[in-house]
Amino acid sequence: MRSKEEHLLDRIREKFDIDGNIQRKRRIWIKIDKDELLELCGCLKKKGFIHLSAISVTDWPDDNVFEVTYHIWSYDDKILITLKAKLDRENPTIESVTNIWQENAQIHERELHELFGVEFENNTDLEPLFLEDWSGPPPFRKDFNWREYVQDEFYDKENERERVYFY
Amino acid sequence: MYRMNFTIKKMKGSVFIFINQNNLSQIMKPMESPTLDENYDLYFGPTHPGSGNFGVKLRVDGEKIVSARADPGYLHRGFEKLMEYRTPIQNSVLSDRLCVLEPLNWNLLHAEAVEELMDIEVPERAKYMRVIMAELSRIQSHIIWYGVFSKAIGFDTGFKIAFGYRDYILDLFEMITGGRVYPTGYICPGGVRRDFTEGTERKIIDVLEDLEDMIRMEEVDYPTLLGRTKGIGVLSPKEAIRYGATGPVLRGSGIKKDVRKEEPYEVYDRLDFKIPTRKEGDARARYVIGIEEIRESRWIIKQALDDLSESDFINKDHQKPNVNKEMPKDEVYVRNEVSRGEGAMYMIGDGEKTPYRVKIRGPDFLHMIPLLEHMLEGVEIADVPAVYWSLNVCPADMDR
Repeated sequence: MRSKEEHLLDRIREKFDIDGNIQRKRRIWIKIDKDELLELCGCLKKKGFIHLSAISVTDWPDDNVFEVTYHIWSYDDKILITLKAKLDRENPTIESVTNIWQENAQIHERELHELFGVEFENNTDLEPLFLEDWSGPPPFRKDFNWREYVQDEFYDKENERERVYFY
Repeated sequence: MYRMNFTIKKMKGSVFIFINQNNLSQIMKPMESPTLDENYDLYFGPTHPGSGNFGVKLRVDGEKIVSARADPGYLHRGFEKLMEYRTPIQNSVLSDRLCVLEPLNWNLLHAEAVEELMDIEVPERAKYMRVIMAELSRIQSHIIWYGVFSKAIGFDTGFKIAFGYRDYILDLFEMITGGRVYPTGYICPGGVRRDFTEGTERKIIDVLEDLEDMIRMEEVDYPTLLGRTKGIGVLSPKEAIRYGATGPVLRGSGIKKDVRKEEPYEVYDRLDFKIPTRKEGDARARYVIGIEEIRESRWIIKQALDDLSESDFINKDHQKPNVNKEMPKDEVYVRNEVSRGEGAMYMIGDGEKTPYRVKIRGPDFLHMIPLLEHMLEGVEIADVPAVYWSLNVCPADMDR
């Protein structure tokens, strides 16, 4: 007897060129090209994956890519699918999924734009969210050294009481 | 303000202003009041006593709110980044701070993510202890919810009832974990930090019995409470899904979804409990669900205490000092039902002792930014705190 997860994965494979695996019960991980992502998201939404649990970005500076992950949950099938798409680190742009998961996706993308500097095309509101008057690089990138940044911005080496922060 | 000639004279301690007779009418004419038909901005928070560390900019037309814009970031500490620099045992302490009001639930979520990533077995007793602690934390969080919600709408009695009874649970936390509010990573990868001491079970049952009185008081439909909450902040099921609502907010709109049932973790699949749901979708429906969930959680704890077996409380291979181990190259996405809704953690290991990346999904990120902005549109200024607190908000897990 084939499981629900296998059945679902096979049906996606029929239509899309993906690299997918089943991690355990209720968990499917799919790697997909960023150009096909929007179409697959639309299909999954129609299949009942109406709840976008989270969007996340992982920075891989050694491979020179950003990996955008979409964690989507189906209330009917009780399966969580994670879609992963790779972006070029020099030019991190990807199509927004706000047409599919509306405001839910919008706010996640706005956060990631601020923290990782990823551009989400067709997202109308990518204003700064958490950080106020931030002029430095996107702070959650791996190459951003926050210890150095804090030292330079907030501490004075000449000040006797703050000298301890320089080691 | 007026252009005219006048002279000022001081006589017998009074000041006299002499003006031309023709100018008298100009001064006596009432001043024009500023026009009120224009919209203006009104800030709710971040220093408002009823807002927490969070602000909303309201565009107001008279008494009605035209649009709202959330202003988060006052509690942004960058936990996702901080966790990349720390080992799991350090992160379990950090995970307390994800939500001030329910630290044990976040402890549990973090511990589960590390366990799934590193393939750590958890002893049977620890699983039950975790459920007991998580449910106590949920009760405590829902009590605060009822308290601050009552306070926000001017029903001080409710606030006092709630915070009085909350202290009993804090006493329990102090006895079991050592910390009243923050358990300092009590639920850690592998199990829990220390076993229940002698007589803890008895004390938990005593506290749960006491809570029955509180629930009875909270269940009374006080006219103040009803008048301020019924029909306020109505959220339809369709909108709830669209805005990514989870937890009591989703269930208040009539959708019966709970991660504990959908995807049981720890021992929830062995326990019997109901999911309270309401159809109305207004502020009252949501806080009533909070009260009903307290009752369900009491029932869960009683069952877990009955089934509590004798075994280790932590996996001895992962107890201190054997804690700093390399995380495999893998990734996990773990979901839990924290008291506010769906909490989740996405953790990636890269062969180092620290996680490569952690993404934390807090339920209030969606409740407090897009959903709140949407729900505040069209309500009266006086109802803002009622709508705001009916969402069971916690700025800490939104900002992270």
